[in-house]
Amino acid sequence: MPTFTPGLVHTPVTPFMRDLQIDFGLYEKVLEFHLRNGAEALALPMHAGESVSLSEDEQRKLLEFAIAHVKGRVPVIAHVSDAGTGIAADRARHAQDAGAAAVVATTPYYWTPPPAMLIEHFAQIAAAVNIPFFLYYTPVELPGTKITTDTVLKLIDRLDNFAGLVDVSLDWQFMINIVSNAWRVRPEFQLLSGSEYMVSAGAVGATSMFTSLAAIAPKAVSELYRRCRTEKYAEARKLQEELAALRQIVKRAGPPGLKGALRAMGRECGEPRPPLPALGAANYKQLNTEFKAMAALRAEPRGW
Amino acid sequence: MALNLKGVMQSPVTPLKADFSPDLETFEKLLDFHVRTGATAISWPHHKGESLNLTIAERKAFAEVAVKVVAKRIPVSIHVSALAVEDSMELARHAQQIGADAIIAITPYFWHPTVESLYDYFVRLGTSIDLPLIAYNSPDYLAGLEFTGDLTRRLIERLPNFIAMKEASFNSERFLEISRVALALRPEFSMIAGVEFLAPSVPLGGKGSYSSAGAICPNLCTALYEACAAGESVRARELQFKLARLWDLFRDQYPSSLKGGMVVMGRPVGPTRPPLPTATKERQAYIETHLGELGIIDSEPHGW
Repeated sequence: MPTFTPGLVHTPVTPFMRDLQIDFGLYEKVLEFHLRNGAEALALPMHAGESVSLSEDEQRKLLEFAIAHVKGRVPVIAHVSDAGTGIAADRARHAQDAGAAAVVATTPYYWTPPPAMLIEHFAQIAAAVNIPFFLYYTPVELPGTKITTDTVLKLIDRLDNFAGLVDVSLDWQFMINIVSNAWRVRPEFQLLSGSEYMVSAGAVGATSMFTSLAAIAPKAVSELYRRCRTEKYAEARKLQEELAALRQIVKRAGPPGLKGALRAMGRECGEPRPPLPALGAANYKQLNTEFKAMAALRAEPRGW
Repeated sequence: MALNLKGVMQSPVTPLKADFSPDLETFEKLLDFHVRTGATAISWPHHKGESLNLTIAERKAFAEVAVKVVAKRIPVSIHVSALAVEDSMELARHAQQIGADAIIAITPYFWHPTVESLYDYFVRLGTSIDLPLIAYNSPDYLAGLEFTGDLTRRLIERLPNFIAMKEASFNSERFLEISRVALALRPEFSMIAGVEFLAPSVPLGGKGSYSSAGAICPNLCTALYEACAAGESVRARELQFKLARLWDLFRDQYPSSLKGGMVVMGRPVGPTRPPLPTATKERQAYIETHLGELGIIDSEPHGW
């Protein structure tokens, strides 16, 4: 399988109407915004796109809609995670049929399978397709199941299309162990930074980056990514600190923070679906005040 | 308070005789070895030095030897953390009396103090002496107890002698929460990685690290720091991968395996006090195999 380096991967939100149905008209605007503002690939619907709150039918429609709209301008990576292995594998199969460039999946939701079954879970998803498969590791969101170097090596051994790992652990030793061992048996194996903490990830070998904050500050994100990809890590420090500060503001507002942040930037995408709460007026006011005080945001686009 | 901490600083292990009593003569040799092989500072006794397995009287006796033998060739800081805060206060006073250059202290053990209690503790400790204070952040070992950006800011504003942080989360987000606040308020502040994770931390403003493996491979430590400081990212990554393998080898029952590895390198320092195990002959042979594979035995000094 040829190397697939996705590059700067934007992970769009899913906009909802007042009745909380997907707002496909607005989704077009969201996709166009990302394409105009530096996305080299899209991954959807990730957790930032509330994947877990979409029905099977909605996830498939959303993916088909995005692929039809993007028309090959950038690769679209389909997020297919689920609790059940068969469900996730079916979704992967659909993604390939729909024209996705790759699929990405987390450790299973809720369950904490033993290592052999964890390998089986990923193997069945990846074997359902012949496009690249990426493993998405997010131990803070899914703390019950750990990925080890051994798991990764066994999956490489078993799957020709296991192309890389998207890391959200932010753990230096973990990233080093995965990539240094994987490269010995599959030199084209990719480490991808799963968030905007790209400086340290890049320094230990990450070649791509997933970003949800590109919806807020696409210029800063693109510039950070560009400096890291040319291995100018020290020159990326200031941008890294600014994006860390931005991430903390959004994080403090809780799960609805990202949509609140979009509102503050003049790109209204509605509220999140239950069980996530809407961002209350007081929290929105605080977020908006903090955004106004952030010098780093002044150069970023407002509105669509 | 002009104390410029940078590079790979060594925190020596604590040599013990076969009956587990202090071996001050070997300690002298070890200190001298570190100074001769490129240590930029000495800090003793970190957990690697079995700090919590030594009596307060023993800690004072070793500390006196450290200051005397290093003899101002490089700075010496004394780790004062003890189970009882009153013992830490006493060790800090003692460090100042004997002419140490700084003290270092972790967040208190066992209890789960509030942020206010942490603030009060470090203010009390920092104002009790005229020496520079290095704080030590190790959330994984202390059930999540950690320095937030806000606590760091308050302590920097309150304590002119708070000059550095030993940061041992080895996590991009946690490192940046502290570093972006500290470096903005006090640009000369030294962010020091807990062990040699230099490739991911130097580009973020890190000034250096303490060392896990310096008694085994001082040349590798120095080479890694130099590559990172020069921005030679490809070489830094290669050396970092090697040191990460050593960290995996040694962190198991740390510092027992390290002391076992020192036997292999011709620098025996005796057993490890219970409840930590002492590396068996089999464990030593296992370590020797790995050190051989990594080329350490051929490229690093043997004996004292």
